Amino acid sequence: MADITYICKRTVVSTKPVQPGKHFSLSVLDRLMEQNHLRFVYYFRAPGAIREPGEMTKKLRESISEMLTCFPIVTGRLLRNPEGQWMIKCNDAGVRMVEARIKGSVENWLKGVDREKELKLVHWEEMYHKPYFWSTFYVQITEFEEGGVAIGLSCLHLLADPTCASMFVKAWADMTLTGKMLNNPPLSHQLPPRRPGRKNPSHDQPSMELINCYKSIADKTNLVSTDDAKHATIALAFSDPMVRACMANGQAMAASDQSSPSPFEALAALFWVCISKLKGAGDDLIDMSVCSDMRNVLNLDNGFFGNCMVYNRVNSKNLKGQKLSDVAKVIGEVMSEMDNDGIIDLIEWLEHNDHQSPPTMNGCDLICASLEAVDPYLAVFEEDLIPVRVSCYVEPVVGVGHVLVLPSPPGEGPFSRVVMVTLPEDEAVRLCEDDLILNFSPTILMGVNN
Amino acid sequence: MEDSMNNPPETESTTTNGVQIRQSRRLPDFLQSVNLKYVKLGYHYLITHLLTLCFVPLIAFVIFQASQFNPNDIHQLWLHLQYNLVSVIICSVFLVSGATVYIVTRPRSVYLVDYACYKPPAKLQVQYQQFMEHSKLTGDFDDSSLEFQRRILERSGLGEETYVPQAMHYIPPRPTMAAAREEAEQVMFGALDILFANTNIKPKDIGVLVVNCSLFNPTPSLSAMIVNKYKLRGNVRTFNLGGMGCSAGVIAVDLAKDMLQIHRNTYAVVVSTENITQNWYFGNKKSMLIPNCLFRVGGSAVLLSNKAKDRRRAKYKLVHVVRTHKGADDKAFKCVYQEQDDAGKTGVSLSKDLMAIAGGALKTNITTLGPLVLPISEQLLFFSTLVAKKLFNAKLKPYIPDFKLAFDHFCIHAGGRAVIDELERNLQLLPIHVEASRMTLHRFGNTSSSSIWYELAYTEAKGRVRRGNRVWQIAFGSGFKCNSSVWEALRHVKPSTSNPWEDCIDRYPVQIVM
Repeated sequence: MADITYICKRTVVSTKPVQPGKHFSLSVLDRLMEQNHLRFVYYFRAPGAIREPGEMTKKLRESISEMLTCFPIVTGRLLRNPEGQWMIKCNDAGVRMVEARIKGSVENWLKGVDREKELKLVHWEEMYHKPYFWSTFYVQITEFEEGGVAIGLSCLHLLADPTCASMFVKAWADMTLTGKMLNNPPLSHQLPPRRPGRKNPSHDQPSMELINCYKSIADKTNLVSTDDAKHATIALAFSDPMVRACMANGQAMAASDQSSPSPFEALAALFWVCISKLKGAGDDLIDMSVCSDMRNVLNLDNGFFGNCMVYNRVNSKNLKGQKLSDVAKVIGEVMSEMDNDGIIDLIEWLEHNDHQSPPTMNGCDLICASLEAVDPYLAVFEEDLIPVRVSCYVEPVVGVGHVLVLPSPPGEGPFSRVVMVTLPEDEAVRLCEDDLILNFSPTILMGVNN
Repeated sequence: MEDSMNNPPETESTTTNGVQIRQSRRLPDFLQSVNLKYVKLGYHYLITHLLTLCFVPLIAFVIFQASQFNPNDIHQLWLHLQYNLVSVIICSVFLVSGATVYIVTRPRSVYLVDYACYKPPAKLQVQYQQFMEHSKLTGDFDDSSLEFQRRILERSGLGEETYVPQAMHYIPPRPTMAAAREEAEQVMFGALDILFANTNIKPKDIGVLVVNCSLFNPTPSLSAMIVNKYKLRGNVRTFNLGGMGCSAGVIAVDLAKDMLQIHRNTYAVVVSTENITQNWYFGNKKSMLIPNCLFRVGGSAVLLSNKAKDRRRAKYKLVHVVRTHKGADDKAFKCVYQEQDDAGKTGVSLSKDLMAIAGGALKTNITTLGPLVLPISEQLLFFSTLVAKKLFNAKLKPYIPDFKLAFDHFCIHAGGRAVIDELERNLQLLPIHVEASRMTLHRFGNTSSSSIWYELAYTEAKGRVRRGNRVWQIAFGSGFKCNSSVWEALRHVKPSTSNPWEDCIDRYPVQIVM
């Protein structure tokens, strides 16, 4: 596998300067994610004529400049407001762009890639001592000499969640392809307040499930061990019929009136059971939280730019025997707890109990995140430059690990999914050989290279 | 008491209740009611047209006399001439030969056909935030240097649209020689392309090429680069001026003018530029950090001609060029000095006496320029004030001639806010006179020798240049030199196509916020 050559690093600004004096404040959901950052890698195969080296990069650089005009929050810089909380000053400072080149082709790379190699395609810098000069978004364009492009996007989770990060890339793709953005530029950044009159009179007490979950995460953060176990990430692709089979498994045998679990619930149940086994929990299940995008629930437009993913802990106390149907049912119940009222109660509670140092949200439990709202395959940069694979990482990984359920490339069926699991290295290896998982014959897109 | 004196005279009035209003019959204060400015203007017009005014009675007298001639007198006159044929012929010979010698030795007029200023692409713009961020990320500057640069930048008068070369946009910056060549090519060829497109001349017609770039002098020279790119003819006279600072633009025009006296019927192209790529200072000596904050990418190309037929299409005619050099004075010589700091990093250091020396150089320059351009009225005033001071030892302030009467437009090299402020004060100019300089500094930064051309383009873009207007371009540079050139507009000048102010002139003038 050839090494990557870094060509240069520069700053890309928008073509039209932003109005001076604009500020964006960050919501409570944003502020919780301060310790994390996201990394996305998009792979593009480029059939047809080999381009001049650097030509694609130049085109992408120009189109991102155009597109950044609509994302002043991305090009701004972090500042503390008078209350000591983070906010963004929109000073058009720009995003950092790294340009690189690799020998070989995309296909060859994808055959032998693993976590360590893939992370080389995404540039990231930790926050400087003076965050005012630190860019929150990084873009890396890597050209494969024999054809293909990899675009890496990394950003601070404080500003964006996976849904809006992929929306950012889609906007960039639209700008490159058509010269204008198809979707409206992102709306303002406020979470919706409680709608007056919606408050249920019998709802005297706020719904505590979500609040309890966040409370316990905050408490547990102090107990997270900082062991330096090397983590590995594997990506498993489950085809459409296999996911349907999994969902059928997850449906209780005799309860035909029950609706079958969603693909996410079924897959989350599957992985929860398998990983618990791996971790040596015996018949019990380890602690797990699920996380999902709440834009629909909160009636927010898809263009909402900011964090809108909410966590909830799944109660594993009453589950014995690890029947997939029971597990899936419990997950389903937990997902339904994340309704409008519940979330708004949570938001209000968070606003009252604002921590100065936010917990590491991905710290203690196993996290199963549904990234189905993210549709990265819509990012088509040119007629023949379509994403063939998209990887997503939520860093840093400490503690147990996480499972991300992403949609598959189009054309593989509505229920097919790609699951990216990050675990300590040895557990990841064993997961690939687990019988329960192999029952559903996933294709190993990215394994652990020894 | 005072109030009653300043009030207009009131008539006496006795009201029914017996209150008497005091009347004041003093004459109004003439000094307060008459504006001194208009007195001076009247004096100026009187002296300017004095000759005409004196001629009027003379003409009247001659006409009167001529009307009294009868044919007999004319016959007498004719006989007188016939008898003194020899002396008449000798007189005519002297007159004719004198006239011929005069006409032949008169300097050829140099016309400025057109000029072009380069506007770099928008992606090379640098804003304050980016400047500070990139400066910090290089790792070469300590905190006090960064703070110093930030303060200088904020008070510099530069806007957020000035241009910095591509090499400085990388993290870390890449000041290679290849990048410097590329910057020079982009600027010079950009300006020349616009110039050739606007004037429709063929590169083969160019007989003289003068290029000036102070800080970048590769081999082969920049002028050779231009000959190569545009395929100029084999016997073109090329000159490459290096190291002459920000006033080299005027020096180059002077050189081209001299060459156009020797070579008939040809064109001269003058390209003025500067190179930022390899001249960024990456050290911590404060006196050397200022150029980082002020110098920006820019360049101009000027087409001069001595062909008579170009008079019709030319914009300006060159009237005077005055060059002053203060290098004989050690302090002036060391005022702008390129050297290595203690860590071995090269930079241009500006001394604290810069403003004082600039003021002195300006005074010398205008002392030479004054008699050439000032109207007689001003010269008389200056002369009489001088005489009064020397001979009669009168305690008079030195009379500063009013250059506003001599020139309509001023293009002061946009060296920095301090330079423009200083000149505005010294020459007693109005804000509108220095507007071109301030706005060029805001939009393009200090583009060194080409800034005077951006300023002229601004004045044209604002539609202020009318036929007969005189333009004064002043440039200061290392050495210490002060050079000025005077142009006269030959027609109402419209801004050329692709001028650098095309898309933004409506936004100007802007208020420069401190």
